[in-house]
Amino acid sequence: MDVDQVLTHLADGARQTMRADAVAVRLLDEQGERVSRAAASGFSVATEMGESAPLARYPIDEQALAGSPIVVDDAHAESWGDSGKGGVPAPYRSALCVPMTHGGDAIGTITAYAATAGRFRAEDASLLEPLADVGATAIVATRALQELEELEARQSLFIRVATHELRSPVAVAQSMVRGVLKGYAGEMTAQQHDLFGRISRRLDLLENLVNDLLDLAAGKAGRRERDTAVLLNAAVGRVVLLLLPRAEEKGVTLAYQACCEELIVRGTEDGIDRILVNVVDNAVKYTPSGGDVAVALQRDGEQIEIVVSDTGIGIPEKALPHLFEEFYRAPNAKAMDTVGTGLGLAIVRDLVQRYCGRITVKSAEGEGTTVTVTFPRVDLAECFF
Amino acid sequence: MPKILVIEDDADMVTALRMPLEATGYEVVAAATGEEGLQKVKEEVPDLIILDVMMESTTAGFQVSLELRSPAADSEYAAYRNIPILMLTAIHTTTSLRFGPDEAYLPVDDFVDKPVDPDVLLKKVGALVGQAQGDDLPA
Repeated sequence: MDVDQVLTHLADGARQTMRADAVAVRLLDEQGERVSRAAASGFSVATEMGESAPLARYPIDEQALAGSPIVVDDAHAESWGDSGKGGVPAPYRSALCVPMTHGGDAIGTITAYAATAGRFRAEDASLLEPLADVGATAIVATRALQELEELEARQSLFIRVATHELRSPVAVAQSMVRGVLKGYAGEMTAQQHDLFGRISRRLDLLENLVNDLLDLAAGKAGRRERDTAVLLNAAVGRVVLLLLPRAEEKGVTLAYQACCEELIVRGTEDGIDRILVNVVDNAVKYTPSGGDVAVALQRDGEQIEIVVSDTGIGIPEKALPHLFEEFYRAPNAKAMDTVGTGLGLAIVRDLVQRYCGRITVKSAEGEGTTVTVTFPRVDLAECFF
Repeated sequence: MPKILVIEDDADMVTALRMPLEATGYEVVAAATGEEGLQKVKEEVPDLIILDVMMESTTAGFQVSLELRSPAADSEYAAYRNIPILMLTAIHTTTSLRFGPDEAYLPVDDFVDKPVDPDVLLKKVGALVGQAQGDDLPA
């Protein structure tokens, strides 16, 4: 709900409570010098919202903002009536104005109007004041929430821009180096080939580091992103398809055992994709040519399991407790000519926990690894939340 | 000699693509913006389009593909609808993209990851150009 909606509810609520003919909610600017009409209820003529005027133009509000409610018994008989827009506007004759304050600061007023004279008494203020208090709190809270949302939007935009700006030059440089290495820019000496090979590996590492750091940043920044129902069958299938060319290129068999039942989890599509890409890509990465990677999606009661097993290099027992630590890489993974940053599983752990899931790793060095990611199953009927 | 139109705003990336493609015997023409790309599709009538996913704006690449594949009967690109499109992207952005034969998804024929591996690029280009030319053969 935005501030305007809060104010409209407030004006409508106040009009009902006070049985008033009309209610106006006006807000004071930060300097406390100008007021603007922020919401209105019941006015017979169209009212202008948002335009601010000096506080002095609203003498009733000015007095109320000093701290106490103001009752106008008959605007025709009192001096208020002649103060133009700021007094009691035609066709109304009587009014009750109370200040809205929060933490001792005046933030605006609520004014109830009636067409007849003598409609409000001083004690009526006790009906309107609690509404003004609640309204003031709601306005302050809504404004704070809006600021937070704007901050988050800026943060996420920054990450998106940074992602592109950081990845782009690395990808371009790497693309050129690969072309040179494959001989498309002419023949090279053995020494040149060796040096370009090293440049290429450094660029691979830089690319992975940039991707992982940004994933980690995006994951942490996106903590408040709203979860939805994610169809896991589609997500797993998509990720397997995406990584199939990489496996084929390496000579690794990537098999997928799908599940015919629609399995739904609560999460974000991006986050689930990130988990799956990381886990399946790891299996492909650390399985030498000729090996197998099997991905299975299955239901176990109220749990959904994604099981990724490989016949790869495995994880030494000593390394297992450190697997999810940021920047940690097992010694046998480091020894391989494979680029890794040690951030992938840290990202996965963060995301899995966020979606109330679990991740377990079973492995023996030289015998392969099985990673099981478990999520609570969401019933289709519960999806319309 | 099959002609390939590369729509990509980064001149160095164009070089990286041009190197293996020209060495393999393809003719390469380049365009630096989506607008220029669409213009060159008409002028050059390429056999394949390689399209960068992000150009002057994050959606420029998508817009070009949607324009080219528009199913509208009066589309000014109706004559070029069957030119295969290979989209350049990064695996991390691909994961949140939907693509495929379904019109509701991104209407491109295949993807190449950035950084580009020249062998993967040539394999995909060869498959798409061969496929398109095969389609033109009488049954």
